[in-house]
Order: sequence, then structure tokens, then C-alpha cells
Amino acid sequence: MKASASSSALEQRISAFLDGEANEHERQEIEALLVNEPQARALHDNLKRGTDYGRRVFDDAMKEPLPLELVRTIKNAPLPRRAIRLPDDKKRQSLSFKPSRTQALVACILSLCLGGGIGYALGTQPGSTRLGGSEVQLDSRDWLDDVVAHYRLYTRLPDRLVEIGADRPGDILAWLTTGTGIAFRIPDLSQSGLTFAGARLFTADNRPSGLLLYRRGDEGEIIAITFSKTRPDTNKPVEDIRADTGLVSWSTPLATYVVVGPSSAADLDEIAAKAAGLI
Amino acid sequence: MNNPTQTMDIRRDLVALLPRLRRFALTLAGTAEDADRLVREVCSRAIQKSHHWKGEGRIESWLFSLMRTAWSDEIKKRRKTQPSSTPKAQGVVSSAEISTMATSDQILLSLPSGLASVFLLVDVEAFAYGEAAAILGIPEQAFAERLCSARLRLSEIAPEASERRA
Repeated sequence: MKASASSSALEQRISAFLDGEANEHERQEIEALLVNEPQARALHDNLKRGTDYGRRVFDDAMKEPLPLELVRTIKNAPLPRRAIRLPDDKKRQSLSFKPSRTQALVACILSLCLGGGIGYALGTQPGSTRLGGSEVQLDSRDWLDDVVAHYRLYTRLPDRLVEIGADRPGDILAWLTTGTGIAFRIPDLSQSGLTFAGARLFTADNRPSGLLLYRRGDEGEIIAITFSKTRPDTNKPVEDIRADTGLVSWSTPLATYVVVGPSSAADLDEIAAKAAGLI
Repeated sequence: MNNPTQTMDIRRDLVALLPRLRRFALTLAGTAEDADRLVREVCSRAIQKSHHWKGEGRIESWLFSLMRTAWSDEIKKRRKTQPSSTPKAQGVVSSAEISTMATSDQILLSLPSGLASVFLLVDVEAFAYGEAAAILGIPEQAFAERLCSARLRLSEIAPEASERRA
């Protein structure tokens, strides 16, 4: 996708000025140039003429009739199916909890002791209760925001994408297991067209988090799996989009995992479902 | 999340946006046949993933991103299955050739590869540089350079087109 018609720096500045994309200082400079420099005025008019002509051509393109079959296909498109089940759901459904009388009695006694203990602890430190509650509410949001920030940063640095490459899986396992306190495997996601590129360690909401990075195809759409001991508010799987980045998360008793990718990646939930079974 | 009303809504949105989706697809794919196939594929994905759309910002931004990704996937597939054949790429066409072109589609496709999409997003769809660059998955600086090149190219061919019309 290389442009063949090359443009000078001045042309680019004027072009940005036309769109209101120049900052205040730049805008003043260009305005002065347009007043004082005939050449700059000519460039401005040239760019303006191109813009006006292009708009007319694109407007004409809109007038062409749509294929009726295309409209029908969309109107009759099948409904979404939501059959993918992340581990949290599966676990909840497969658990059958039928305690015996003895178990129920033991559970009652334990609950009583635990409740009493917690009540005593909170009673001795009344000020900390409210703070603790608000922190829990902020935790999951901040953690996911940090995940998105790191994902966006490293995907824009293709030469510095990973700290340890895919050729040293042993080192990655030892390093991230020690760093995060979570035992894991590197999922093979080649069936989803993903090639493992390597890993990183970063902090999200002040907790160490592991980041496994995958490339899709040769040009490299980046999909990442991150894991941390962070506990979100809810154990339910979360699907979200933040800053053009898609997130699918799930939790186990030991860790919380998130698959991260461009918001346009249509199969993040499928990747998450596969990764959940392999990691 | 999965309710039929929401699905119907996005279908209606998609049909309403169809001419614009098709126009963007044409700038990516280069032929009407490929563009229609691309639009069909993207609309299908959008309906399946409609729960991702939270109603914030412009839905076109999300749909155009889906379309750019789908087209990149398609190019990769084609490279794998037919390494020698590449999708029809727009080459540089002389101003004299432009004057013989009958439709606006042909004029658009005469632009060097990648320029038509860039121009469309800013000058027609009114996206800011940052958002438009994100849709195309390219750095903002490269985007601004291409936009300038697109305008210069269109300016070059504009007089000839005017004469043809007159």
C-alpha cells in the first residue's frame, strides 16, 4: 500500500491544515504562508481542488444501484448463536453439590467461625472497611485498562514485541511462573492461525502479569493472552471493547485470564475457549 | 445480549449503511465482485458479533475496521492458495487514460493502491486522522502522507475529468 504520488513536507502541512489537524502554532504559520507566499497558495488551491473533485467522484459512486441479492442476504442473515462456553460456565454447570448431613453441619460450624472472625476483624478496624470495598470495585477496571494499555503499546513496537522469544519456551515458563506465581502451559493455537511469538512480564494494577503474544499470518495481527492473580469483581466471563481493543476474560480459582486483540477480530471468544482448555 | 430486537436493529443499520460499506469495500478490494463478497462477509460477522457493539461512537468505525481486517485475511488466504496471483491492485493510471473512463468507480480505482480508502475516510466519511488511521491499521503519520498524495493525484486528474464531462 505505497503511495506513488509523493508529497512534499509543505504539501503535507497544508493538507493537515485543510482538515483542521494542525495545532495552533502550525495553523498560524500556515495562515501566514498562505498570505505571503504565492507558492503556498497554489499548493493550497491544488489540494483543495483534489479534495473537491474526489468528493464529487465518491458521491457519484453512491448513486450506483445496490445488488438486490446483497440487501436480501443481509436482511435474512442468520441470528447470532452464542454457543461458546468459557470454563467458568462449564464448571458451574458440571458441579453437582449434594452435601450429606454431617457435611452440612461442618459447613455451618465453619461458616459461623469464619463469619465471627471476619466480623471481629472488621470491628477492630472500622475505617478500613469502606476503603477495601472501593478498592475491590476499582481493581478489575484498572487491571483491564492496564492490560489494554500494554497490549496497545507493544503491538505498535513490532521489533520489541516480546522480551523472550518463542524459541525459548523453557525460559518463558520458568520466568513467568516465578514472576506471576501461576503455573501455566503455552497454548498451541495454530488451529486458529496463531503462531506463538514470545512473552512478556508486566504489571497491571501493581500485580505481576504474564503476557503471551501470538501473531496471526505473515503481517502479524497480534493476539495476546494475559494472566494474573488479580481477582475481578465478578467470576463471570467478560467480553468488552476498550480503546478499539477487544477483551475476553475468564477466571479460575487461581488466576484471571484475558484474551486481547483488535476489536475487529471476530473470533476472540473462540480463541479464549480454546486457550482456556490448553493453558 | 442475544435478544432478537438488537439483532434486527443492526440489520436495519447495516442495510441503511450498505451503499457506504460497499463504497469502502470497493476502495479496498478493487473490483465490484470482490467488494460485494467482502460486504456480505463483513455484514455476516457484524450480525454475529453485534453484542460487541455498545452504541458508543460511530458504528461505521467498527464496521470499517471489520472490513479492513476481513480483506487482509482474504489477501492472506489468496496468497496461500494461489501464490502467483494477487488480488487486483490499483496501479498508477495516466491522466489520458482517466479521460476515457466512464464511471466514478473506474476513476476511484485508478488511484494508486491504498489512496482511495484514505481519502474516503477523511474527506467523505469525515473521520479524524487518528480514528481513520486506526481503521486502516497504519500509523497516523503514514496516513497523513497518503491523504496528501491522494489529494494531489485527484488534483492532477481533475481537469481531464472536467473536460470529459463537458
